[in-house]
Amino acid sequence: MENKQFIAISKRFDIKNVGKVTGKEIYASDVNIPGMMHAVVLRSPYPHAEIKSIDLTEAEKTGAICISRDDVPDLIYNERIVSIPDKTYKDRTVLPKDKVRHTGEAVAAVAADTEETAFKALEKIKVEYKKLPAVFDIDEAMKPDTSQLYSYVYLGDKKIDIENNIACVRNISVSDIDKGFEEADVIVEETFNVQRIYHMQLETKSTVCVPEADGGITIWTTTQGIHNVRILLGEIFNIPLHKINVKRITLGGSFGSSIQMNSITPICVALALKAKSPVKLVMPREDDIYDHASYPLRTKIKIGAKKDGTLTAGHCKVWVEIGAHNIQAYPYLGCIAGWFASLYKWINIKYEGKAVYTNKTPTCARRGYGSPQINFPVENAMDILAEKLGMDPIELRLKNYVGKGDEFWGQGPTIKSIIRSCGVEEMLVEGSKLIGWDKRIPPSEKTGDIRRGIGVARGFHTSGTGGPNPGEVIDYSGATVKINEDGSVDVVTALMDHGGGTWDVAAKVAAEVLKVPFDKVGIYNGVDTRTTVFDVNTHATRGVYCGCGAVKLAAEKVKKILLNYAATLFKDLPENLELVCNEELGQAVVYPKGLPEKYKTVGEIAKTAQIKSWGTIAYTSSLRQKNCPPCFITYFTEVEVNTKTGQIKIPRVIMMGDSGTIMNPELWKGQIIGAFSQGIGLGYIEEIPYDTNTGKLKCNGFITDFKVLTTTEMPKIDDIKVLPAHTYEPTGPFGAKGIGEAALSAVASSFGNAVYNAVGIRFYDLPITPEKMLKALKEKEEKKDKKE
Amino acid sequence: MKKAEIEFTVNGKKRTLFVKTNELLINVLRNDLNLTGTKYACGIGECGACTVLLEGRPVLSCLTLAVDVNGKNITTIEGISKDGFDPVQKSFLKNAAVQCGFCTPGMILMAKSLLKENPNPTEDEIRDYLRGNICRCTGYTQIIKAVKECANNHNQDK
Repeated sequence: MENKQFIAISKRFDIKNVGKVTGKEIYASDVNIPGMMHAVVLRSPYPHAEIKSIDLTEAEKTGAICISRDDVPDLIYNERIVSIPDKTYKDRTVLPKDKVRHTGEAVAAVAADTEETAFKALEKIKVEYKKLPAVFDIDEAMKPDTSQLYSYVYLGDKKIDIENNIACVRNISVSDIDKGFEEADVIVEETFNVQRIYHMQLETKSTVCVPEADGGITIWTTTQGIHNVRILLGEIFNIPLHKINVKRITLGGSFGSSIQMNSITPICVALALKAKSPVKLVMPREDDIYDHASYPLRTKIKIGAKKDGTLTAGHCKVWVEIGAHNIQAYPYLGCIAGWFASLYKWINIKYEGKAVYTNKTPTCARRGYGSPQINFPVENAMDILAEKLGMDPIELRLKNYVGKGDEFWGQGPTIKSIIRSCGVEEMLVEGSKLIGWDKRIPPSEKTGDIRRGIGVARGFHTSGTGGPNPGEVIDYSGATVKINEDGSVDVVTALMDHGGGTWDVAAKVAAEVLKVPFDKVGIYNGVDTRTTVFDVNTHATRGVYCGCGAVKLAAEKVKKILLNYAATLFKDLPENLELVCNEELGQAVVYPKGLPEKYKTVGEIAKTAQIKSWGTIAYTSSLRQKNCPPCFITYFTEVEVNTKTGQIKIPRVIMMGDSGTIMNPELWKGQIIGAFSQGIGLGYIEEIPYDTNTGKLKCNGFITDFKVLTTTEMPKIDDIKVLPAHTYEPTGPFGAKGIGEAALSAVASSFGNAVYNAVGIRFYDLPITPEKMLKALKEKEEKKDKKE
Repeated sequence: MKKAEIEFTVNGKKRTLFVKTNELLINVLRNDLNLTGTKYACGIGECGACTVLLEGRPVLSCLTLAVDVNGKNITTIEGISKDGFDPVQKSFLKNAAVQCGFCTPGMILMAKSLLKENPNPTEDEIRDYLRGNICRCTGYTQIIKAVKECANNHNQDK
């Protein structure tokens, strides 16, 4: 482990985005352009229907600008272009050309001077539909005689037929699964279901588009990656990229929902181009709920172990119900295989994955990209296995986890790297001491109406999608670092910050390399695709490891230029100079080694370089990381089940995270606690069921009936312990890995295992609502009565 | 729809506007006065992101008609500190009680209102007061901590 004194990293600073507490921070929905029009979208009332005709005549008479299928390009695309083109399935156009495939799918759009007049015009659009049978369930969808959403789609440029609504398939085998189960003394085989939920990012998806005089466009939009939005808009509207400028702007939450270009972005562009006027489109919450959801997962898991707890085989069959568009099911299926393969040493692995279309809202990435969905089956199955073996669940995990020196699948089977830092053992051992694991008693010994239980689960996420060899996912970042004429520093990058503090880390990394005080480093919005080099996206927990890796590389090059200039001033060699932070001066200073009193401030050097016309001290990097180190987490959750009401409280939780060097201690904790809140939501209350008669969401798009956790359901401040493992990632910037998605991976699993320890009931389908709990308790009582 | 003249004070400044009688306060603040710190996130009074102070008391601007604030005093997030940062804002920055920041204006205004009503709230009182404001990023803990720290500081000041 590297042990050095940092000037900025790991230190606690106030967060940089001060605009967020003063109301000055501008989000896409806050962008107001003089003379801009307001847009609204007409959405399908049916889950599956042929569009017979669309009549815009009456709507256009109001003076509004209207678009429907004839006004948008024919290009069939995939809104997520993180995967390489050959592995990208494409099934959609800007607006549907022939039929609608889910309730709430955009059919037409209107822009007018005010939102009110736009809505009035929208009411005058006449759409004639021919209703088609709809499917909402994967088993139903895969039957040969069922209504088909697509007859063909494209994989890259290749047209491929779709049969039985199966969007894509992914099968992977390692070694010999049959032999693995033959060697097993104990086998566990169960089926689990993790539900689809709504991201509920606070800012609904929004876009503002300004058509420029030269035929180009300027865009402000909610996105996790500005360059991919630009590239895709260029392809769709056939505009050269130098004429498209996407502004980097603060994101009001995303959690994966804006990994792709949002569906409304090209709609807004099409309206603006037709209107020849700036147009703003802010999704109402009711539209946003019909726009995206997280992938659900059904998992049939079978695992085997020898009597001593050594695993011999792991077999997973998974089905994902993707809804009406295949945004990224193929890489998703690959990632699930990777998360499964990298949790424990199964030795022999068989994985069969299928993605199935249904007439529901399209699903897309959500924090963890399938990791919480596969973690729940695996971590439950491990507890079941431990019980069957008569072994402690922690001992079983310690015996079989994938750790240091092992191969890690960071993004499915094509992106792998060797694990070089691992805090799994420390977290399992220390966490169990903190929670009082040795005092944990089996559910059979518990009585009374209120029953407490403790559960453990562990998980991880990749840090980026880099590997020794490039795989199916595009992964590189870039940054410009520049020393200004007063010694302050600008960091210019397309890297997005979800709110987890990625920009603060970028500033810290530049400060650390250049020994400049943190408050002298600026990282501001106002940059865009025109002024930054490519950064793929802030997804895959890659912000710190990859994005800030690129900042570090740029800063190191800048340091070389700086020392070269300083050497000229000192009439010495760069290698004979020292660069340090002088806190009294609030500046970085350079001096010949051994002669600190002879210092010159970096401001003086930069100013001299300017006056003498030597040039700007700046560098632009482009970096692909060649590893994808896992950031591990281990959670110990205590639950309190009220057996009379079915309600579950969380009296206590210990959360341990292994992120290597912790860059922002407070925001790191915040990421973990925030993920805990989302994970308990997934485990306990969140779901978005459909009325299959109407094809509409039962909540009708209103969050009145889609509840997420509030302040009152969280454990108290002193009952939440968040602690880091003591690791150092040798390939990461200053030893750092990620945390964001890892933090969510095992929350619902530890919750489920704790519920089992409290009441002795294993739940296989999430969420474990009070209703489900009461029903299960009643069934358990009845069984017991029968036995007696 | 007819327009009505309203005169009200926003962040200490008198404003006179002509608004439609069905216009919501949130739209007047965001669109007419460019005070975009007040956020739209649900439009049905479920999330608290659009909270503003009306005569010092929190209201949901997405459920308030603009004509109803005629002659009254409104404070938005932009108006809570004249220079520098208010102690609640400082505490939110220090405790990393802010992630994406979209719920933050509503949270801060609720916290201000709570601390005015009850300068030394307990943790449970803070949780109860903020329970109508949704935050999807932080899990609330650091927000509660930030508010609690203001309460403690307040006590030290006495």
